[in-house]
Amino acid sequence: MNNKILNITNLSKSFGAFKVTDEISIDLKFNEIHALIGPNGAGKSTLIKQIVGTVKHDMGSIILDQEDITDLNDVERAKIGISRTFQVSSIIPKFTALENIVLSLLERSQKTFQLFKSLNSNSKLFSEAKEILLQIELEDRRKVIASELSHGERRKLEVGLALAMKPKVFLFDEPMAGLDETGTKMMINLFQRIKLNSPILLIEHDMDAVFALADRVSVIVYGKIVASGTVKEIKANPIVHDVYLGYEIT
Amino acid sequence: MIKERFFNKWVFLLLLSIPAIGIIFNEPYYITLATKVIILGIAGVGLNLALGYGGLISFGHAAFFGIGGYVAAIMSYHALNEELLFEIPLAISGSSEMLIIWPLAIVISAFFSLLIGLLSLRTSGVYFIMITLAFAQMLYYFSISWPSYGGEDGLSMHMRNTLPFINTMNPLNFFLICLAWFFIAIFITSKLINSPYGMALQATKQNEERVKSVGIETFKVKLIVFVFSGAITGLAGSLYADLNRFVSPSMLNWHTSGEIMVFVILGGIARLYGPLLGASFFIILEQTLGLYTENWQFWLGLILILEIIFARSGIMGLFDKKNKL
Ligand SMILES: Nc1ncnc2c1ncn2[C@@H]1O[C@H](COP(=O)(O)OP(=O)(O)OP(=O)(O)O)[C@@H](O)[C@H]1O
Ligand SMILES: [Mg+2]
Repeated sequence: MNNKILNITNLSKSFGAFKVTDEISIDLKFNEIHALIGPNGAGKSTLIKQIVGTVKHDMGSIILDQEDITDLNDVERAKIGISRTFQVSSIIPKFTALENIVLSLLERSQKTFQLFKSLNSNSKLFSEAKEILLQIELEDRRKVIASELSHGERRKLEVGLALAMKPKVFLFDEPMAGLDETGTKMMINLFQRIKLNSPILLIEHDMDAVFALADRVSVIVYGKIVASGTVKEIKANPIVHDVYLGYEIT
Repeated sequence: MIKERFFNKWVFLLLLSIPAIGIIFNEPYYITLATKVIILGIAGVGLNLALGYGGLISFGHAAFFGIGGYVAAIMSYHALNEELLFEIPLAISGSSEMLIIWPLAIVISAFFSLLIGLLSLRTSGVYFIMITLAFAQMLYYFSISWPSYGGEDGLSMHMRNTLPFINTMNPLNFFLICLAWFFIAIFITSKLINSPYGMALQATKQNEERVKSVGIETFKVKLIVFVFSGAITGLAGSLYADLNRFVSPSMLNWHTSGEIMVFVILGGIARLYGPLLGASFFIILEQTLGLYTENWQFWLGLILILEIIFARSGIMGLFDKKNKL
């Protein structure tokens, strides 16, 4: 009946008297990238945390693929198909890049609670993980301990961890922050491909990337969505110009 | 890893040589000492599973050690006086068969680990340390105030529990029995940590938030390791009771938890054979320095401090620089 895979209604969260997200309604349609932009401290990351369930909402509802997941906890939500990247890279520091990806494959392949079978005998897990590393162009770095990866490589690994889960939706929190030009290009290409399987809610400060990628853009300021539309509409919106005072929107 | 394996072999050979020396010079005391090291090593292997690989700093493993010990002693006590252990709901009598006592010690300490784990694993950090300590101390005070089994004075066993065809009173036999258990404990530990589950476990130790975000129930991961950990330490407790033919509340005391933790830290956290090395070192210090001063633990403390400052990965780490998972 509808073409929305993720539907968020009136999601609110206050820390004390401070409303970080204020009755936010936002949705994701199949095959799209919906960008969420806004100034620092607007509540973007907090919104993601509420969608994944690590921050408890005060009010509102979250529907994923026709199912009300508002009362599920973070692990349950991850299991049924929400995967996210962290704004500040969060990886398993002493695992190699490859092992990080394998970890992310465990749950989907129902291996997490195999207690006595050797991990190394699960060659399928490792070959699948290698394929994912290929997609994020980290294959040649697969044996490197994650804590020794460069900042940019860690950003890619973050995305790889999300990819491995084959979720219903992706929530990416500034995946391109700190990437060089080739890195950003790679991400743009990758996102354009993966959105065909699972749509992406994309938080990003890099406006060029946003405008290149987004099918829709929403602007959040002080916890409220102040504008929403296509790239063209957003570029023409005077409110957005006010918010991004100083930033040339061309 | 090659180096660590090589080193493990030497530790193992050294340990075997002690009872050999004991036999040659007719000094059974050495055999008993080596047996003690092995048993304490098993207790440490148990704790290492939770602490080393799971990052769960349990300060209450004396609870499981003591429970295992009391299971062995109480069963043998009832076997001797032929009183029933329970009449309701089932009539259960005592037994002096190790083949009955071991599984029972494992199951009961696993059950207590499950219970304590369910209640304490919701917390982490200092709170987890305090809660596990509190549970163990509860059991300690309970054992003191429970007169049926000796209360504060503890409970003696008139003889060691038995195995078919093997004279367990022979020190060498009992040493070999404990050694077999040690290897079983090592085998289970290495199976666990090298499985997909072991990967989830070691990842949880490093970054629980990340592990949850990929859909893994970290609570369940931690609970499972806590139960295995408690069960292994419990089994060690039952062997310890048989070694000494005596149990007392001191097995449940926080000192014991601390000592098991010292074995793990001394030997090297998350090293398979680390706890055995730690226990050996501990007993050697006790047997040598202990001859000269009652305050030998002062020197132990000093060594621990030096280790934590200079050699984080324990004695094992000095020999094997390779960073382990
Ligand atoms: N746990 C918390 N307790 C109190 N205040 C918080 C908490 N988490 C976030 N905030 C506040 O909520 C506001 C929104 O934070 P959030 O991280 O969602 O912003 P953001 O839009 O992601 O910003 P940025 O672009 O800098 O990442 C900030 O002012 C922040 O200080
Ligand atoms: Mg943010």
